[in-house]
Amino acid sequence: MPARVSLIWQEAPGLSGLDPAQVALAAGVELDDGGLVEAAVVTVAQERAPRGLQERLAGLPVSWLDLAAEIGGGGDAHRLARAATAVARAAGRAAKGTLPPVYAPQPAQSVLVAGAGLGALAAAWEAAALGHPVTLATPFGDAATPGADDDPQAVGLMAAQLPAQVELATECELIGLAGSAGGFSARLMGPQGESSQGFGAVFLAPPGELAPGCEIHGLNPELCVLASKLDPEDWQGPEDAWLHAAVLAGSAQAAPSYSFAAALEAALALAKRPRVQVSLFYTEARVAVPGAERLFRDCRAAGVLPMRVEPGGLEVRGGHTLAWFDPLLGEEITLEPAVAVMAEQSGAPRPAWLDNELTVKPWDLLVPENPRLAGGKTSRSGLYILGSLRGTAPGAPRRAEAAAATADMHARLTGRVVPMPAVRDQLCARCLSCVRACPHGVPQFVGFGIACSPAGCVACGICAAECPAEAIAPPGWGQPEMLAALEAALAVAPEPKMVLFACGQSGMPAASALSASGHQWPAGLVIFPLVCAGRTSQVLVTRALELGAKGVLTAGCHPGNCRSISGNLVAAAKLEMVQGMLAELGLDPEAVSFLPLASNQTRELAQAVEALAVKAEEA
Amino acid sequence: MNPAEIDTPVLIIGGGVAGLSAAVELSRRGLASTVVEREAAPGGRAGEFCCKAVAACARCGACRLGDLLAEAAARPEITLHTAALVTSAEQKDGLWTVELSPQPAGDDAPGPGAPLGERCSLTTGAVILAVGGQVFDPAGKSRFAHGRVEGVHSALELEAMLAMGAIGPGAMAPAKVAFIQCVGSRDAAGGRPWCSRVCCGYALRMARVIRHRLPETEVTFFHMDVQDYGRAWEEELPSLKEDIRFVRAMPGEVTAGEQGPRVVFAGPEGAPVSEGFDLVILSVGIGPPNGAGSLHELFGAAPDQDGFLAEEGPDGLFVAGAAAGPRSLNESITHAGLAASRAAARVGALLEAARG
Ligand SMILES: Cc1cc2nc3c(=O)[nH]c(=O)nc-3n(C[C@H](O)[C@H](O)[C@H](O)COP(=O)(O)OP(=O)(O)OC[C@H]3O[C@@H](n4cnc5c(N)ncnc54)[C@H](O)[C@@H]3O)c2cc1C
Ligand code: SF4
Ligand code: SF4
Ligand code: SF4
Ligand code: SF4
Repeated sequence: MPARVSLIWQEAPGLSGLDPAQVALAAGVELDDGGLVEAAVVTVAQERAPRGLQERLAGLPVSWLDLAAEIGGGGDAHRLARAATAVARAAGRAAKGTLPPVYAPQPAQSVLVAGAGLGALAAAWEAAALGHPVTLATPFGDAATPGADDDPQAVGLMAAQLPAQVELATECELIGLAGSAGGFSARLMGPQGESSQGFGAVFLAPPGELAPGCEIHGLNPELCVLASKLDPEDWQGPEDAWLHAAVLAGSAQAAPSYSFAAALEAALALAKRPRVQVSLFYTEARVAVPGAERLFRDCRAAGVLPMRVEPGGLEVRGGHTLAWFDPLLGEEITLEPAVAVMAEQSGAPRPAWLDNELTVKPWDLLVPENPRLAGGKTSRSGLYILGSLRGTAPGAPRRAEAAAATADMHARLTGRVVPMPAVRDQLCARCLSCVRACPHGVPQFVGFGIACSPAGCVACGICAAECPAEAIAPPGWGQPEMLAALEAALAVAPEPKMVLFACGQSGMPAASALSASGHQWPAGLVIFPLVCAGRTSQVLVTRALELGAKGVLTAGCHPGNCRSISGNLVAAAKLEMVQGMLAELGLDPEAVSFLPLASNQTRELAQAVEALAVKAEEA
Repeated sequence: MNPAEIDTPVLIIGGGVAGLSAAVELSRRGLASTVVEREAAPGGRAGEFCCKAVAACARCGACRLGDLLAEAAARPEITLHTAALVTSAEQKDGLWTVELSPQPAGDDAPGPGAPLGERCSLTTGAVILAVGGQVFDPAGKSRFAHGRVEGVHSALELEAMLAMGAIGPGAMAPAKVAFIQCVGSRDAAGGRPWCSRVCCGYALRMARVIRHRLPETEVTFFHMDVQDYGRAWEEELPSLKEDIRFVRAMPGEVTAGEQGPRVVFAGPEGAPVSEGFDLVILSVGIGPPNGAGSLHELFGAAPDQDGFLAEEGPDGLFVAGAAAGPRSLNESITHAGLAASRAAARVGALLEAARG
């Protein structure tokens, strides 16, 4: 039996002028009188509610509603209607009796740092500072061994500062991994053989290796020296002649900035040697690291000849001659250097097990170039990939990356919100759709059922949208609650009715900003906040149309900017299917659409809703 | 030192992405902090930026400000004073005492935080300076005619124009647009011998937005070198070069023509060429936080040779974001995380010492 829902009014900016009693009446709920509560709608986000209220409502089905975000400007009657719609929606969900996520601080969990070098040590140090027991599994015999691209002194210093909570496992490598945040199981290979251990989070930071930073094929290897291996003292011209040195920082492609800067340092050091003439070859002067532009100038002042070549324009002849075309002289020039210093790029080989064990996630999905995964994050919750393996420049950027990653880990493992998805085992068909669909690797097939690790889930609801049996959902985002909320809101919203499903990372912040600035929404617009646009489903959208919505807009992130990697793409694909279905039925497919949006694109959202309203009026 | 003297464990000056990110990271570590923002609303530069997504997100980072503002608002450990200025700072026994005073600021702006009511003094264990860098004022390069010739705008102005939809079908539709790079950067003669890191990226992203909105518009990119912006960016560069005209030349000046601004640059043969455009965008760089009499003097933070602030100053002073050197939004956010970690370690050590 659905619970009786009370409206608990909390004043907030944007709610002034609304009469709580009228809102409750219009929404069909009771206004809280301080008495017994079965289920509740509160008009502020949970974080902003007073502690006393949170305690009073503990253990009850509550919809925490950021009401001000959905109302916006307009006359009193208009705002009342909008408030009533929002409260009705939240009440519809609360009436289903689902308990909200558990809010309780969690104890620190042990974490694994697998790797070596500055990034690995920084991660171990930071995690320990945050109170997590750390296992540092290094392939080397001690913690102080740097990667090839590290500053050995900095690494030595950091290794000496490692706190006691860091347990060092030497000559030990990670060879397999399963699970997600709060529940990883790692296979380690050490001197004593293979072992398996559980960890709350895993940082993968293999030691960096150096390779030439630009491809120059055909040069006699005996001529070539990597910039970091160069000892300038080895070089000087004979008494009466110049010795030619070539510094190669770009040919087919340009060397990255940090690598270009190191090449400049080598060039400058060589140029200061007696009778050494240095030519610096590059396609782009990549000076976007501190001090590099200055160094570039110093090089020119010291007599280094900058030779800009077109990509691919530097040719090697006979293994020892460099040839290129000079556009200013209009002719080809050749040089036979005594030494060729190569700019170098750091990297690390991808462990083979990474592709095997996390099979559902090929590399580009595990570590996509997504601004929301900056700072070492991967799409697998609780797994962080740092440093050279990720392509992060050596030095300071690696320390910062390690700090960001450990802070994220700490928030995830010990944070107050634990939206662990509930699996109803008796309904589950073991179809494994959720295992495939979850972008964060949370549901796992264990034993003969689906198990979810508590800290991994971000409540995007993609699993719930995919599950054919309604067996899995983060708390509050199951099909029954979503449908009840939709029905309740559309029952109260004035004509013409419309629905905006708004992603929590893009559509909803934009809507909230518009509301705060007094934007007037169409009266009949139901704003339906989602954690991720990926929670929409064909059922939900078609149900909205059945219930009288004239248009349904889903606002999610731009491709490549989804926190759940593909929630936006999944949503767009589903909506396309609904459009196809509508067209087949002879209905207007445009009634349903996906709007890619960033949280700062308020103007675009307002325009899209305006267009929706115009169409709805016509329909 | 007596821990009871501490009003706020960490004081953060500047509420841009770096300051907000530091506050959020501290609160994730269970530490409270106070953010002091000079303007009426937090957000810093990023609040003025447009989304540069075309078919997909261009990874400009501008929308991450929204996440940070929401998270800062949701975390009770963070106090945010807007329209407030630091008037004095003093260090004693390892603690900083900082005086704040309210500053007349425009309208009440939406967003987290509230204007500082009255003068107050706060004692804190650590200070994070996150005051950002100063965007180069194009008036400093008068030969580029900003403010003199109509149609010449700084990139900052273009950000706002794109965000407001002022350029596109049904609005201004320039047929030819020029971007001039390195304005106020990589300029040793002008006393600014550093690369600002972000302007190649933002200019090419905005160029692509213009091309997307107005496929007929021709965009020319006057530059010295293109800087690197990560894996995906490197992969996109070839297709950008097909879409946009790349000219490797630093224009000498911008003049007023009959139809609009004209850009004078060295042509392929070395002789000067003057070409007309409808819109000329100056890609202004990032410089050190404003000079004399400013905050870092108050705190005794050491400027480096270019005037940016060293990441770690005297005891308990940390610098985050573009104040420590040109940085992108994403980099500033990460950088501030490290400052937060150091500040947290510092406060932890202070408290431990006090306990004996
Ligand atoms: C035209 C332009 C376009 C750009 N586009 C991009 C882009 O697309 N992508 C990208 O990644 N980066 C871009 N950048 C770089 C970006 O602006 C910086 O990375 C970012 O703003 C740095 O953040 P911050 O928090 O350090 O500084 P800011 O954003 O500058 O914030 C500093 C804050 O401190 C406040 N403040 C200053 N002094 C005081 C004081 N004395 N007391 C109190 N408060 C104070 C300021 O009001 C401000 O809110 C661009 C820069 C420019 C100039
Ligand atoms: S809600 Fe999202 S993150 Fe959580 S288990 Fe489902 S799909 Fe994974
Ligand atoms: S998608 Fe649903 S039915 Fe399929 S395995 Fe997961 S929980 Fe079970
Ligand atoms: S990162 Fe930039 S381009 Fe991508 S969605 Fe955000 S604002 Fe738009
Ligand atoms: S990022 Fe590009 S435009 Fe900016 S200073 Fe560096 S080279 Fe010049």
